[in-house]
Amino acid sequence: MLIDLLQIILLTVTTVAVMVVTGFRRDHGLINALTQTGLCAALLVFAVIRPVTPLQVTPLLIIDEYSLFFSCLIIIGAIAVTAMAYPYFEKHHQHNEEFYLLVLCGTLGGVVMAASNHFVSFFIGMEMMGISLYALIAYTVHAQKPAKFPLEAAVKYLIMSGLASAVMLFGMALIYAMVGTFEFPLLAAATGGLDTSLHPIMLVGYLMIIVGVAFKLSLVPFHMWTPDVYEGAPLPVTAFLATISKAGMVAVAMRLLLAAQAFSFGQITVVLSLLAAASMIFGNLLAVMQSNVKRLFAYSSIAHLGYLLVVVIAAAAVPELLSVESMSFYIAAYFFMSIAGFAVLSALSNAGKEMDSITDFQGLFWRNPWLATVMIVVLLSLAGIPLTAGFIGKFYIFTTGVEGQLWFLLTVLIIGSSIGLYYYLRLIYTMLQEPHNNLVNDPAALKLPIGLNVVMAAMTVAIIYLGVYPTAFIKTLQSLASTL
Amino acid sequence: MLDLLWLVPTIPLIGFLILTFTQGKLSEVPAGIIGAGSIGLAFVIALLAGIQFIHSDAPFFSQHLWTWMSVGSFKAGFNLYLDGVSLVMMFIITGIGFLIHVYATGYMHDDPSFARFFAYMNLFVAAMLILVLGDNLLLLFMGWEGVGLCSYLLIGFWYTDPYNGYCARKAFVVTRVGDASMALGLFLLFQSVGTLNIQDAMHIAQAQWPTAGGGAGLATAVTLLLLGGAVGKSAQLPLQTWLPDAMAGPTPISALIHAATMVTAGVYLIARTHILYMLAPDVQYLVGVIGCITLLMAGFTALTQSDIKKVLAFSTVSQIGYMFLALGVGAWNSAIFHLMTHAFFKALLFLTAGSVILGMHHEQNIFKMGGLRKDLPWCHWLFLIGTVALVALPGTSGYFSKEEILGAALAHHEGGYILWLGGIAGAFMTGLYSFRLYFLVFWGKKTHDGHEVMGWNLQGPLVLLAVLALLGGYITIPVGKVFPMVAEEEPALMYRAIMIGLPILGILVAWLVFVKGVIDTKKLAGSGLGAALHRFWFTQWGMDWLYDRVFVFPYVGLARLNKSDFIDSIYNGIAKLTLVLHGLVSDTQTGQLRWYALTMISGVLLLVSIGVFL
Repeated sequence: MLIDLLQIILLTVTTVAVMVVTGFRRDHGLINALTQTGLCAALLVFAVIRPVTPLQVTPLLIIDEYSLFFSCLIIIGAIAVTAMAYPYFEKHHQHNEEFYLLVLCGTLGGVVMAASNHFVSFFIGMEMMGISLYALIAYTVHAQKPAKFPLEAAVKYLIMSGLASAVMLFGMALIYAMVGTFEFPLLAAATGGLDTSLHPIMLVGYLMIIVGVAFKLSLVPFHMWTPDVYEGAPLPVTAFLATISKAGMVAVAMRLLLAAQAFSFGQITVVLSLLAAASMIFGNLLAVMQSNVKRLFAYSSIAHLGYLLVVVIAAAAVPELLSVESMSFYIAAYFFMSIAGFAVLSALSNAGKEMDSITDFQGLFWRNPWLATVMIVVLLSLAGIPLTAGFIGKFYIFTTGVEGQLWFLLTVLIIGSSIGLYYYLRLIYTMLQEPHNNLVNDPAALKLPIGLNVVMAAMTVAIIYLGVYPTAFIKTLQSLASTL
Repeated sequence: MLDLLWLVPTIPLIGFLILTFTQGKLSEVPAGIIGAGSIGLAFVIALLAGIQFIHSDAPFFSQHLWTWMSVGSFKAGFNLYLDGVSLVMMFIITGIGFLIHVYATGYMHDDPSFARFFAYMNLFVAAMLILVLGDNLLLLFMGWEGVGLCSYLLIGFWYTDPYNGYCARKAFVVTRVGDASMALGLFLLFQSVGTLNIQDAMHIAQAQWPTAGGGAGLATAVTLLLLGGAVGKSAQLPLQTWLPDAMAGPTPISALIHAATMVTAGVYLIARTHILYMLAPDVQYLVGVIGCITLLMAGFTALTQSDIKKVLAFSTVSQIGYMFLALGVGAWNSAIFHLMTHAFFKALLFLTAGSVILGMHHEQNIFKMGGLRKDLPWCHWLFLIGTVALVALPGTSGYFSKEEILGAALAHHEGGYILWLGGIAGAFMTGLYSFRLYFLVFWGKKTHDGHEVMGWNLQGPLVLLAVLALLGGYITIPVGKVFPMVAEEEPALMYRAIMIGLPILGILVAWLVFVKGVIDTKKLAGSGLGAALHRFWFTQWGMDWLYDRVFVFPYVGLARLNKSDFIDSIYNGIAKLTLVLHGLVSDTQTGQLRWYALTMISGVLLLVSIGVFL
């Protein structure tokens, strides 16, 4: 049992260690390295855990290949965020050590969510991540020259997230009132016992939980906070928001919906379809003329989560296996693209000055070909151009959608993707234009730490590898989907 | 060595890649060595592989390189297929190609885009080799389009002159018409036989297409469509108009692409798919008729041209007409044989013409030449050798192949006689226009001084080509296992006398008119009827004029009418709509927390009510 919890234990130990060491000595480099070590260890122990899965650890958590896949993604994200944070804060911001503490707590929350099989662990994980994020977003508030408006973003996120949590908690309470259990596996049986159609109170309960999930995944119409918070937060935190906070939520939501057999109820699929369609359309439309790259990525993430929801909905009509498989592939592809994209943004920026206007990117290719190339690969993949992970991911969504005969959603997906092409290509075009000279941070003079370069290189290779030869990865996903 | 066959197209391709990626930074010597050397190397390998192939006595050799794509039952391999015909083509492409490349190192000397020239040339050779060696329709089409692209690039090689760009465009567009037809033919063929492999397709067609009824219609349709492609690429009626303009390219290009190799691809295509044509005898006869008419029309036009290269261009059109004639009467091997001998003497003629042009400081008008046999002795003798081979004087290479063709036409039971008549009339015309060119350039009064441009890389290939042009007729081409046997009949003595005599008569007339001045050509061309005929022939029987009116002007007019493309306005409309919608939705991002909270609560209410009331 302890072996199964090894990832969670290692993350906790690292958190405590960081806290203790910070108490004695403030040393940015040391703390960064310590965090990095703890995270890498937590990532690598998956090899030890995998043979002993699946195992239910108390009613709260289940460790299986599915949860392991997501916790590994989350930890990779945390490693990347840690790698981005060092050059971002070093020499531009004082007192950076607590940042890693918060990152570790948030990561722990995400890992707990990925493994949770129970409403209580779901909520605890979510709040653990949420509370860390409030502080993370506002982290640079005392900087002499904060990059953006971290406090405004943090307050917005705090209030909106509080609202969403309240709605979700209400939904959980309604369900508990009807079935008397918090355990996911018992939900289906309890529902089936009531009636063939879903009891209205149960339905409202599920819908309120879906609202909470939709908020965290920033699906339309619960997306309003996304661009403001993405823009206001320091870049490594934005990366955290875009990846880690999404992955945990996707994992637990999918597990809940499948366990509760929610897809057999038409109302829920209809509501999910509306969320997906609105997200694909609004996300892409909002991004079209956006001139701030962080906001652009925020809108793009809205659209991408909308695409992702299409395969989730398909679970109503296709074998669950296929749905989980495509969902996992897409989330992994989205993860790699987002991490690489934010790594480039973060590499160009620091706590004192963020390069997030599209004009800052003009001529980047000629000034720093390496960063621009990574960014181009990311953008092509986000746009779903062949030979990238994004293409295979979208192809997967498409196949699954066709199998499930979700013609309406597929039409919206095509329209959305074609709008998306415009703003991705616009950014590429900007990077290839003649450079201009009035830049504050000269991208040509950047000296990047090796960690960040490794992260970018690894993500770029992953994007292309998954785009060219996805078979091996798909096999892994098929095996994990079958264990769910 | 046969296993190294894949290297034959690969080496020129590598040459192309090297020359391209060095971006013209290589100086002339290494660029020339890579450019010509890659073809030379390919020729050596082709030669060794070919010798082994001939000794192996197998009907064909095929080499599977890799599977290109495999989707469901559809499978396309990257396979090479070598048989007698592709062997001959491969030798011509690499062998003649090598000589022309060597010549080009001299001809293109001091050109600022020297490396680019050889890059295109190498790409062309690679594409042409894929065209003849590919074992399936996809590879064939890839090579076919590849050579078309290179032809375009090389005609417009000196792109700073807009006229060259125009010529390149014209060649590209006109051949595109044929290519579209050919693509349709290939689709139809693939659709009905279900395989891309050419040999399999032929056998399935032979076995499954009934000779009467629907199947015959299928064979007719496929062969007609393929013929469309062949006449486009081989500059036959009605798509021959592009070839004379293609002379805008550098002269080695005219020799390699527009005389020896690419323009004969149509002949190769029909020979390759000859089984289909045998299933559709009417279309096959049409091939012969097209060839016959084209060779006569081009002969008359050649008689009126004043540009040395254009005379040769029309003579090429005319000679390919002979090859089509041969195909039309089922003399498949004679067609390929003439293709080969034509490659010898026409490459020689073009390259010698190139030397004359160099010697005359880029003057191409034959009326500004004259009496050059003293100034340019090398050119004079080489050109004479090329000309006698073209005219098919007994003993030269042209004689053997042309005599075979005419003999086969005569022996052809239905309508062969008419084709034969056309052919011998053409032979007379050939004698006339060829020696008109020769006499005008090298005899008569000297008007301008010329100087011989010397160099091993100029004269060397010319001498070798001259030897081939003279003695190439004694080569036996190994196509016996590819084509059905045709019983050769010796034509009666009278016919042979006519076939030998008419070209000589043509030469005699040319001598009388252009050397002795028995008839004043200027006066003749000035008189009413003469002037009209001269203008008519000079403008290729008004074909360009006709096409301009029937196709070009209406098209340009339509394009002008539709200047603000109404189809575009749909897309522009979509873009505008997107912008408007973007404006609408971005207004919702107010940045105000109370508004955000409001939308969230409305969202909850909306979702819950949809869920509950649905």
